[in-house]
Amino acid sequence: MMMFALPALVLIPFIGGLAAWLVGLRGASRAAWVSSLITLVLMVVLLAQITISSFAAGAGAGGWFAHFSMAWVPMLGINVRFDLDGLSLVMLWLNALIALPCALLSARNVADRAGLFHCLLLATVAGINGVFMATDLFLFFFFWELMLLPLFGLILIWGDAGRQRAVLKFFLFTQGSGLLMLLAILGLVIVNAQRTGVITFDYFALSQTAMIAPIAPVLMLGFFIAFAVKLPMVPFHAWLPDTYAASPAAVSILLSGVLAKTGGYGLIRFVVMLFPGPAAHLAPIAMTLGVVGILYCAWLAVAQDDIKRLIAYSSISHLGFILLGVFSGTRIGMEGAIAQMVAHGLSTGALFVIAGLLEERLGTRDMSKMGGLWPAMPQFSALAMFFAAASLGLPGLGNFVGEFLVLMGTWQVSHVMTFFAAAGLVLSSVYSLTMMLRVFYGPKKTESLAPLGAPSVPHIAVLGVAALLLLALGVYPQPVLNLSVPASPHVVSIAQEQAQ
Amino acid sequence: MSFSFLPNAVLVLCLGSLVQLAAISWRRHVARDAILCVIVLVAALASIMLPTALIMNGALPLFAPDTWASFAGALIILSVLAIVLMSRHGAISADPTVNSEYFLLLTLATLGGVAMTGAVHFISFFLGLETLSLSLLGLIAFQNKRLDAGEAAMKYLLLSGVASATMVFGFALIYAETGSLRFGAPDLSQAPEPIIGTMGVILVLTGMFFKLSAVPFHLWLADVLEGTSVPVAALVAVTSKIALFAAMLRYFSSVNLYLPSAQVNEILIVAVLSMLGGNLMAVVQTDLRRLLAGSSIAHVGYLLVAFLSPGPFGVASAAFYLAAYAISTIGVFAIMNGVLPQGTDIREWHGLFRRKPAAALAMSVMLISLAGIPPAVGFFAKFYIVAAGVSAHQTLLLFVLILSSTIGLFYYLRLILIMLTPAPAGRETHAEVTAPTPVNAALIAVLACATILLGICPSTLVQRSQGLVVAPPLPAAPAKLP
Repeated sequence: MMMFALPALVLIPFIGGLAAWLVGLRGASRAAWVSSLITLVLMVVLLAQITISSFAAGAGAGGWFAHFSMAWVPMLGINVRFDLDGLSLVMLWLNALIALPCALLSARNVADRAGLFHCLLLATVAGINGVFMATDLFLFFFFWELMLLPLFGLILIWGDAGRQRAVLKFFLFTQGSGLLMLLAILGLVIVNAQRTGVITFDYFALSQTAMIAPIAPVLMLGFFIAFAVKLPMVPFHAWLPDTYAASPAAVSILLSGVLAKTGGYGLIRFVVMLFPGPAAHLAPIAMTLGVVGILYCAWLAVAQDDIKRLIAYSSISHLGFILLGVFSGTRIGMEGAIAQMVAHGLSTGALFVIAGLLEERLGTRDMSKMGGLWPAMPQFSALAMFFAAASLGLPGLGNFVGEFLVLMGTWQVSHVMTFFAAAGLVLSSVYSLTMMLRVFYGPKKTESLAPLGAPSVPHIAVLGVAALLLLALGVYPQPVLNLSVPASPHVVSIAQEQAQ
Repeated sequence: MSFSFLPNAVLVLCLGSLVQLAAISWRRHVARDAILCVIVLVAALASIMLPTALIMNGALPLFAPDTWASFAGALIILSVLAIVLMSRHGAISADPTVNSEYFLLLTLATLGGVAMTGAVHFISFFLGLETLSLSLLGLIAFQNKRLDAGEAAMKYLLLSGVASATMVFGFALIYAETGSLRFGAPDLSQAPEPIIGTMGVILVLTGMFFKLSAVPFHLWLADVLEGTSVPVAALVAVTSKIALFAAMLRYFSSVNLYLPSAQVNEILIVAVLSMLGGNLMAVVQTDLRRLLAGSSIAHVGYLLVAFLSPGPFGVASAAFYLAAYAISTIGVFAIMNGVLPQGTDIREWHGLFRRKPAAALAMSVMLISLAGIPPAVGFFAKFYIVAAGVSAHQTLLLFVLILSSTIGLFYYLRLILIMLTPAPAGRETHAEVTAPTPVNAALIAVLACATILLGICPSTLVQRSQGLVVAPPLPAAPAKLP
């Protein structure tokens, strides 16, 4: 049972997506929505089952919980290989937790071709699940590219104005950088083949070569750029604000909540763990770019009128902390980065839920036309306040834990960077509170905004659950921190034995 | 002692074309001729699988019966088969005065292509090439009531003639230098006047690039594809390129492509120019066939990357790429032919997902494959070529490949984007969407399924292409002219 649990995590959303599409063909958008939800619930149940049995069995060699391996293209040493460690498990949970509200909240927004919408949404989720588990480099790359395609359709069909430009930009950026990663993967494989005489794409087998290959810095750079574009890191961030702004609400949530984290996950798994030496050399540059990103994008966020763009820029700014933590080279920084990934996924996802609801009710995303919403929807406004506070790093909430640990890790490496990164937190208070002020406080700007109505029960439920999770992460983060330590790739023999 | 082989497929296609000729001269009947053509092609395909029947002792070696020839030959026959299937019930076979010859010319073009894939002698290569080119000329000009078909044929005739002449001049120079007519790049290390031999090789290469339509010899392709009918455009874009590329690979199979030399430099420059030029040309096109011409040129550039990466991956990745390219490109042309035969302007494809969802989905699958995105077969093909390039340390070519694929993504995705979005107001399309004939619909379905299935389970095709051997032309004593 455990054996096939990992591929099932990829297959269930795929099959469920096809089912939703077939159901949706009959015309009932409700039915597609229901089958999509059932699929995701099944996925969560499976994930829970995996988690429980992983804990029961305990971690194997080097911290790996579960394995799956099957030959795919044996002539080229390509296998379907999944491995699960604590980091993967945390990321899979994040994906499931973000995907569920995406599907839940799209019941009303997506009436047109709902079956297709859910099919594409679930295909993206399946691709992301694959990315978080694949330990065959070809398979990883396959999923890495595969998850983009449904997103292309989702944004293009259901997106807002300017989507055509945005979606092409998004695709070209990510796909072009992905090809650089392909070069790096193949370079690593060929170097390994020259060293050992075996062509293999296995993560564990290649980790040996990655340690000692003379061209390792070049190879690492290929991986790094692909992940830095996806994260995004500052010189490569041009695609993000447009894409987030043009996406439909559910896709914005998915993009900011999980997709950005695939970049962070890749940085940990395939840059720092695979090329520890060269990564240490790259660290000063990566950390500097991280700090630049924190400050620059926070500065840009302050100047935005469009609420989605504000959240998008704030998102890049917070992702700078992930870069900082991952490359700080300290254990505490790495823990902080992972906590930040989870907390940022929850808080930014929630902020996009709020932005989506505002846009749906008010018909605009322009904050200069909003104002005075608190009396009209008090519960909702309080929740918005909560997430704005989480985003600015209020102690007691998850983001604070992540950012604080990252800053502690950075302090051991560079005091100057810590200073500047901490200054970013001040800016984040500025834009978060300005956003609250402009949207929820003050006088009403226009009378046409009057009939707002209470937010739907699913909205409140989703936001409430996210708030509880953030609170739990903020108050008692230790279980997540303990669990999410990335497992080492240097356990070749043992991991291979277990896979067979 | 030398042996000469006559490949089964060449024999079957020769006999088959004679049978078709006889049938036409007896009585014209287009349906019968189409079926006859299919039968001949299927028989040729089956004969490739069988061991070579005709082996003569002591004769001039003309053909090499190796696995590479079989693979490329099978690919050519399959692609022509697809073209026959898509052109039945088209505009061409509706014209009762000439329709039967259309299928005869298709068989002859196949014969030329298959002969080229196995040729190890200048004469067999040249006969194959001219058989292919002359049949193509007839096919391009086939719709004789259309002005631009005549123009396209004229262009093809002139440029193809120039290319053939260049090539023959190259053959002559090589013969003058080495005294040999074997079809293979000569070893010039011992030659008395290496400059003449080098010039000869470069002229032969130039002729081949003309026919392959690699940049900077590409100018004819877009006009020809635009002027002729859709199935023939597929033939020009796919079949003739497979044949030429297969022959070119054999020509250089005895040369060490790692050593820098004049011919390697020429191929390198042409590869870079083709990848960039083809994609840049396609980006600005508004006509779908011209766009596909640019895409086809770019794919030739990618193939040249595999060509310049000898070693364990080189031939295998080229073979895989040829197959992937053939499937997807023929698929695109089949959909064009079936759904929007008049809609060559890409704006006419607006909203196809609403009007013909299945066809639009199949078209997207083909375009995704051409762009090299998983799960389509083009992804694995591109991956394979990059693997070959990495293993041969072709850094420059790989960076150009990545840059140009990213440009390529833009126009493939823009096409999908156009199919997904409705036409802008006031610019409604006027081309009628037609329902593809059952045969064509089945062809499209098969090609789309193959694109996805081979993308997800590429191992069978990888296994096949890894076993391919390109036998270099026998370095025997200078062949005596009869």
